[in-house]
Amino acid sequence: MNRTSRDPRDTRTVRTSFREYMGRYWQLYAIMLVPVCYFLLFKYVPMLGNILAFRRFKPLTGPYGVSWAQPPLRYFRQFMGQEGFWQAFRNTLIISVENLAVNFPFPIIFAVLFNELTSVKARRFIQTVSYMPRFISTVVVISILSQMLSPSTGAVNRLLSQVLGLPRIYYLNEPAFFRPLYILTDMWQYTGWTAIIYLSAIAGIEKDLYEAAYMDGASRFQQIFYITIPSILPTIMVMLILNIGNLMSLGYEKVLLMQTPTNMAASDIIDTYVYRLSLGASTPQYSLGTAVGLFNGTIGLVLVTGANRIARRLTGSGIY
Amino acid sequence: MKKTGVSKGIRRREPVLDCLTALVMTLCVICSVTPFLYVFAMSFSSGAAITNSHVFLWPVGFNTEAYRTVLAYPHFFRAYGYTLLFAFGGTLISLVMTSLLAYPLSKTWLRGRKTVMRMVVFSMFFSGGMIPNYLLVSGLHLTGTVWAILIPFAVNQFYLIILISFFSALPSEIEEAATIDGLDYFGILLRIVLPLSKPALTTIGLYTFVFFWNNWFYPLIYLKSSQYPVMLLLRNIVNGSASASEGTARNAALSIAVKSAVILVSSLPVLLIYPFFQKSFVRGMTLGAVKG
Repeated sequence: MNRTSRDPRDTRTVRTSFREYMGRYWQLYAIMLVPVCYFLLFKYVPMLGNILAFRRFKPLTGPYGVSWAQPPLRYFRQFMGQEGFWQAFRNTLIISVENLAVNFPFPIIFAVLFNELTSVKARRFIQTVSYMPRFISTVVVISILSQMLSPSTGAVNRLLSQVLGLPRIYYLNEPAFFRPLYILTDMWQYTGWTAIIYLSAIAGIEKDLYEAAYMDGASRFQQIFYITIPSILPTIMVMLILNIGNLMSLGYEKVLLMQTPTNMAASDIIDTYVYRLSLGASTPQYSLGTAVGLFNGTIGLVLVTGANRIARRLTGSGIY
Repeated sequence: MKKTGVSKGIRRREPVLDCLTALVMTLCVICSVTPFLYVFAMSFSSGAAITNSHVFLWPVGFNTEAYRTVLAYPHFFRAYGYTLLFAFGGTLISLVMTSLLAYPLSKTWLRGRKTVMRMVVFSMFFSGGMIPNYLLVSGLHLTGTVWAILIPFAVNQFYLIILISFFSALPSEIEEAATIDGLDYFGILLRIVLPLSKPALTTIGLYTFVFFWNNWFYPLIYLKSSQYPVMLLLRNIVNGSASASEGTARNAALSIAVKSAVILVSSLPVLLIYPFFQKSFVRGMTLGAVKG
């Protein structure tokens, strides 16, 4: 086995044999042995575990089930026949798309306006403060939210009923308020943080462009629309594509915390649907849950690879 | 973000834009801070003031009863102990494993590197869902042990890629010199690469620390209730499955103060750390942005 790939530090031009190669570099392989095994065990074994979607599961007989399902797509047919699944599917999509429509542009606007600030102190203060919510747990975010929205003691209801005379409502229980609250808390938590990416893109813009525009008499509004935004457009596109790739993966955490029996019609998403079928159920239906998860994961894979392909075409280089 | 796109000397005055900026920024600051102030005020207020809706952003009827209740709560310190264990232990394991994988992968000429990289990247896009993961962890008899939290999240692919790109940016002359001095690859990694990579290690270490600190979902599915970390305790207190105020009808108001106190006490360490490490956190964001 003769190859020429080797350490560029080695200036000899002889081809090395496999034995010689390993003799010299075995340590590098030894160093990554444990993490590679970890990867195979904790990332790839569960991937194979998806086969459970086509097999019947029996408790205490291992993660791969006992026999093939009859017919093989039995569990897929089962969930596709359930209205609950389609409700969760629709909710996942609607929440994702609405969230994207609001929380994708908002950090960009934030970054562009932030860039208009000249006081270093103000910039530092605003950044520190706007990052703060990113560091707290979703549990804390939702706990604070539920306290502020409490019908009896919460500030929001008090304000609305005293100032506007509105009735006191427990907003977290209302299906109509689920998505707005989901989107608002996301905005609260991540706007300042996501803006970092756009701010670093803005920091890379040539100063000469602004100077030239100034000489030509461009107003700062014009500078924003003709210099700043076009210059960070590639970053914006890449971020958009990345977000679209993640459309199906909202994550259990926040939704699970915000879910109440009364807002299920709006709040049940695929992740929580799977959770309720399996780990959150008194009689877990592992095969059915795996089938739903696999279905969702496959859509996600298609979205991500498609998005990456588009990114590669647009920017000349893929994201990954 | 020291350099900005706008330099002071050549700015036109533009009242509309300046007002808009000031308005949006002020609103953002107020919105970011208000919820924290609100919880802070609640936690120090008297029960009567809370039920009568007198409290908004400043404590009314100042007292520390809520905090005393929290600190007297039987499981609070145990939960905090588990949080500390997960945060420090998880971060340590993660840094070791990520470095061990990142170093060989930073050698672009290494045979088999591409295969391993492909394996890493593919696992970012597609994974076993929640159930196969759960069945694996329980099949390995890790459920009900702290290892169920510490091990499965040992390598995050994003942080791995950050570390690989940091390692490959280190000047190769240093390693050459070390080889001449008789160091092998173990020695180079341990004595040269890792000490030089403190900024990158700090960054991914902090992210990992915050992840473990805030984690509640995996403890929920993998651990016994006697092993719950503080975030999960908080969730159970808030949704009523664990009561913080000795279960009596002491009144609902006290429990609001107690919840607020738990919120603050459980978030305080992270909120105190991050301003000092802000640069490290931001570096992670911009480094990550290069790749994605």
